[in-house]
Amino acid sequence: MWDTIFIVCKKELTDHLRDRRTAAMIFFLSIAMGPLLLIGLTQFIASVEKKAEAREVFVQGKENSPEIVNFFARQDVTVKDPKQDFRELIKNGKHDPVLVIPKEFAEKLSTGTAEVELVFDDTRQDSGNASIGVLRRLMRGFNAEVSTQRLIARGVSPQLTRVVDVQDVNLGTAAQRAAALLFIIPWITLLGCVSGVTAIAIDVTAGERERGSLEPLLMNPVPRAGLVTGKWLAVAIYGLAVAALTMCGFALTLNFAPLPNLASVLSISPAQYLGFAITMFSFAPAMGALQMLIATYGRTYKEAQTYVSYLIMAVSMMPAIGLLAQFKDATWQLFVPMLGQLMVITRILRGETLSAIHYLLPLAINATISVVAVLLISKLLTKEKIIFGRA
Amino acid sequence: MIEVQNLRKKFGTINAVDGVTFTANSGAITGLLGPNGAGKTTTIRMIGTLINIDSGAAMIDNINVALDPGGSRRACGLLTDSRGIYTRMTARENIRYYADLRGVTIARSEKTLARFVGWLDMRDILDRRTEGFSQGERMKVAIVRALIHEPANVILDEPTNGLDVMSTRALRELVKRLKSDGQTVMFSSHVMQEVAALCDQIIIISHGRVTAQGTTSQLIEQSGKQNLEDAFIALSDVAETGDLHHEAA
Repeated sequence: MWDTIFIVCKKELTDHLRDRRTAAMIFFLSIAMGPLLLIGLTQFIASVEKKAEAREVFVQGKENSPEIVNFFARQDVTVKDPKQDFRELIKNGKHDPVLVIPKEFAEKLSTGTAEVELVFDDTRQDSGNASIGVLRRLMRGFNAEVSTQRLIARGVSPQLTRVVDVQDVNLGTAAQRAAALLFIIPWITLLGCVSGVTAIAIDVTAGERERGSLEPLLMNPVPRAGLVTGKWLAVAIYGLAVAALTMCGFALTLNFAPLPNLASVLSISPAQYLGFAITMFSFAPAMGALQMLIATYGRTYKEAQTYVSYLIMAVSMMPAIGLLAQFKDATWQLFVPMLGQLMVITRILRGETLSAIHYLLPLAINATISVVAVLLISKLLTKEKIIFGRA
Repeated sequence: MIEVQNLRKKFGTINAVDGVTFTANSGAITGLLGPNGAGKTTTIRMIGTLINIDSGAAMIDNINVALDPGGSRRACGLLTDSRGIYTRMTARENIRYYADLRGVTIARSEKTLARFVGWLDMRDILDRRTEGFSQGERMKVAIVRALIHEPANVILDEPTNGLDVMSTRALRELVKRLKSDGQTVMFSSHVMQEVAALCDQIIIISHGRVTAQGTTSQLIEQSGKQNLEDAFIALSDVAETGDLHHEAA
């Protein structure tokens, strides 16, 4: 049995490493994943922070209200002219919000209440909306100043109009808000573990059927479970390599790339890397086994690819389902592959403490998936429909 | 020696093999002759443990294939119409893989391989990756792979299908050599000349049953026809009506 497993595993690894293009692609993508993701995130965080700190606002019609411009200047805010077609640009997410002061502003202000327009698009979730808050706060300040002056002019204490004075105390920094995006890291890396082994998982199952090499292979005087376990082992080793390379990509980028913005959000200690690794290393082989099982039903590589793509789709949708259903972190999630891993890695990245169960439970689930899949495939390989059913 | 007794296999409601009995002796070539869909391949697959036997028994050198599939697989080399080989590996590596799986030592398998390479003229292709091999070249790799453990019993299912004249001739030579080495050789075909030229014993299978067996001359005599082809047609057809004895008489 052990001989068989070793022989089959060695053959499959040699065979697939010779598929240079596929192997190079998979390994390159895994190692590049970390740097690409982290640099992308850094850029995003940087732009959020820049906008939040920006002491620049766009005002259309400065000449209509020297009072406002004067007030902004006293608040250390630079007033800039917006582009001609800013309304269109804002709609397309290419311009920051603009304060529009109409012509009749000064006249209306002197007689009572004047109006200004704040032009923005709140369907845009990009960083530009950070400056809408700045504009609102400034206008609230201007409002308060003018009304205070008026009350004083009439001999009324300004305190009368301030029953409750609300002051904003924002404890979250812009960088922390960007940290909400960290869930992308486990999502993409876990997805990489799944799709990285797809090619080999299909080739060792449906590929054998399509090639017509399954029937002679099964004629060898070895147990089928041994053949399947050997194949799975090769797929698992491939998956572990993908996971390890992905981790290396992350570690190298975090330690050696100059990404100051990221350092405030994400720093991973060796212990956390270990947790990250355990989670990925137990996940990749199980996903390989599952894909092999599904691919065994395919008579050709193409057919199997279609079946496997449903699994990959389900796995990639998992975080979206989690977000929509507003799952709170709960132990039951550990029982669900992908959902459990997502939760664990996200918590690791947030620097939260985890207990042994967070690693052991998914490990046990993944081991079960692998064993059951291998047994089912061995069983399928006794079925005439699978052995002889060729396209 | 391969013995088959009252072998039966049903696929759904169809009796693919319906009570086949014959014996293929050592040191002889036995031909399974029959029209397409007669049940030759199913019979061979049952002997080769690839399909479960519904009833009856198949024995290879007195090993019951249903009771000891591992032992019977070791005792026989089977070439079916699935001759897929791994294209990213060389011919030698393809063969070596099967030798490893059957526990044949490297020294031993290299010796066996050297013999086959001479017989089948494979020197030029042995260390080439099999991507782009011709059908004949692929067949050669598949046949050596199937026989690398030097089994005493050799079963070939339509081995000359799709082969050119040269490869067909090489294969026939191989079959004769195996026979002279004292091995049991059984092969199926629907090419009359091939069967007539090679076989010591011919078994005609039709509609899942053995309708006649004997040497070429016995079959011709039995059917009262002039040649094996006419005899084959007569002996396959009568099977449906069960009129064999009348006709022969």
